[in-house]
Amino acid sequence: MNMLTIKNLKKSFGSKEVLCGLNLSIPKNSIFGFVGKNGAGKTTTMKIILGLIKADSGTLYVMDKEVVFGQPNINRYIGYLPDVPEFYPYMTAKEYLKFCGEISGMDKKDVSARSNELLELVGLANEHSRIKGFSRGMKQRLGIAQALLNRPKLLICDEPTSALDPIGRKEILDILVTLKKQTTVLFSTHILSDVERICTDVAFLNNGKIAIQGTVTELQNKRDSNEFIIETERKEDLNNLIGAFNNLNLTDKNSLIFNGTEHEFFSFINYIADKKISVQKIERIEPTLESLFIEVTT
Amino acid sequence: MKTLFAFTKKEFFEVRRTGKLLIIMLLFLIFGIMNPATAKIMPVIMDMLAESMTESGVVIKDIEVNAMTSWAQFFKNISTILIIFILLFSDVFTKEYKTGTLQLVLTKGLARHKVVIAKTLSILSFWTIGYIFSFSVTYGYNEYFWDNSIMNNLFSSVVLWWLFGVCVISLIIFFSSFLQNNIAVLLSTGGVIILMYLLNVISKLKPYIPVKLININPLLASTEEIDAYTKAIIVTIIFSIVCIASSIPILNKRQF
Repeated sequence: MNMLTIKNLKKSFGSKEVLCGLNLSIPKNSIFGFVGKNGAGKTTTMKIILGLIKADSGTLYVMDKEVVFGQPNINRYIGYLPDVPEFYPYMTAKEYLKFCGEISGMDKKDVSARSNELLELVGLANEHSRIKGFSRGMKQRLGIAQALLNRPKLLICDEPTSALDPIGRKEILDILVTLKKQTTVLFSTHILSDVERICTDVAFLNNGKIAIQGTVTELQNKRDSNEFIIETERKEDLNNLIGAFNNLNLTDKNSLIFNGTEHEFFSFINYIADKKISVQKIERIEPTLESLFIEVTT
Repeated sequence: MKTLFAFTKKEFFEVRRTGKLLIIMLLFLIFGIMNPATAKIMPVIMDMLAESMTESGVVIKDIEVNAMTSWAQFFKNISTILIIFILLFSDVFTKEYKTGTLQLVLTKGLARHKVVIAKTLSILSFWTIGYIFSFSVTYGYNEYFWDNSIMNNLFSSVVLWWLFGVCVISLIIFFSSFLQNNIAVLLSTGGVIILMYLLNVISKLKPYIPVKLININPLLASTEEIDAYTKAIIVTIIFSIVCIASSIPILNKRQF
């Protein structure tokens, strides 16, 4: 079953078409990486799901219920963490969660218990000062707590790690991983290592459309890597090789990248053996999401 | 209803926590005291000026100070107080747009019309409470020093001025529903008030324009009675309701 289905979503701001027929489906209990360049339309898509902005056309279903702009009832199934979450600075973390519970119509006792549990989870349980003095990382963690307060079926995180230092980033990713059993996570980012680290599924957004979508393993295997990196003992051998084969490229680190078929590769190895070229390293380049991303978006 | 109450509660909490409540109460208190105080020291000032005035040919005789002097100050100064009040509250919406705090609240399923209702309720409450507070302080001092009973139509005049305040607040809410920053909200509101004054020049329209409500001298002097204000009262009430009500569909369409 899909948690979220988007069909032919279109949105323009003035003459700029941001989304042009986006189709996307997010399987239940997945951690879904939504990847795209800055300005690709990730935030716009998310805001349309949340009913903050109106789509020009297209349909959206959250848990098989259609999302209609201006009717916020679907939002009780969704938790949202904006890229830079902003809270009322005069409240404490606990007061803010209490307020969130009240405006989403939760039971008073439940709010109190759930707040304590979540503040514990995000490491803010002993923080009694007002939000005004919170660091970016603390705000991000409070952002996760407020997003999870009403036990959402779908958690939408807009670049939750982009602005954080490596430790803050790790903390947020670790929290997201623990949520896998409870909820589906839609997670936009342009940091591909984060996707490889925690996501089960991924979609690349380019020019307002989904360029490619699948599970992370599927996509990683999609590219049969025929690229090898070669380093020789002596520098002049590199030039020698480049002269003999046209599917070689010199990198800036005095090594060569070979890109060709298996057959070509064997003749390349033969050539090295025949010419008795001393090799320091031959290594197959592992397919990465990054190379795939660059391929589909450029 | 529960969620509306929760958001309204937050509005009151915000005013208290951010210190705005203290500022408003001090403002209204000082204003309340200032009116009788000015009336009280006026003869002293006049005495001091009398000598130099006599030299220039103006003779000042004994000035009679009574409750009327103090209430005249009240109605003269209240416009300044309304302006300060409006300045303090002009960003209740726009601050939330700018920082994105409202965005997060809306994603929790809070209906947008409740935001308008809650904010309207809270601003009107503070205006009403502060106004009554100021009025009570001035009334108390006046009663102690002089005699309030010499005043004609005092309560009607006070209510008319309050209603004009409500009208200005409804303009703030209306403009906040679609404008992005509070300077624009203030300028637009000011623009509408200026337009009202301009329309007030046309004698046919005069009885209908909300600014009629703050022209209370004829009422205090009993040259006009409250009946003369009925049309302006009705127009102001309808105008305020329309402003607040129309900000709901506008906010509903707003993209965050």
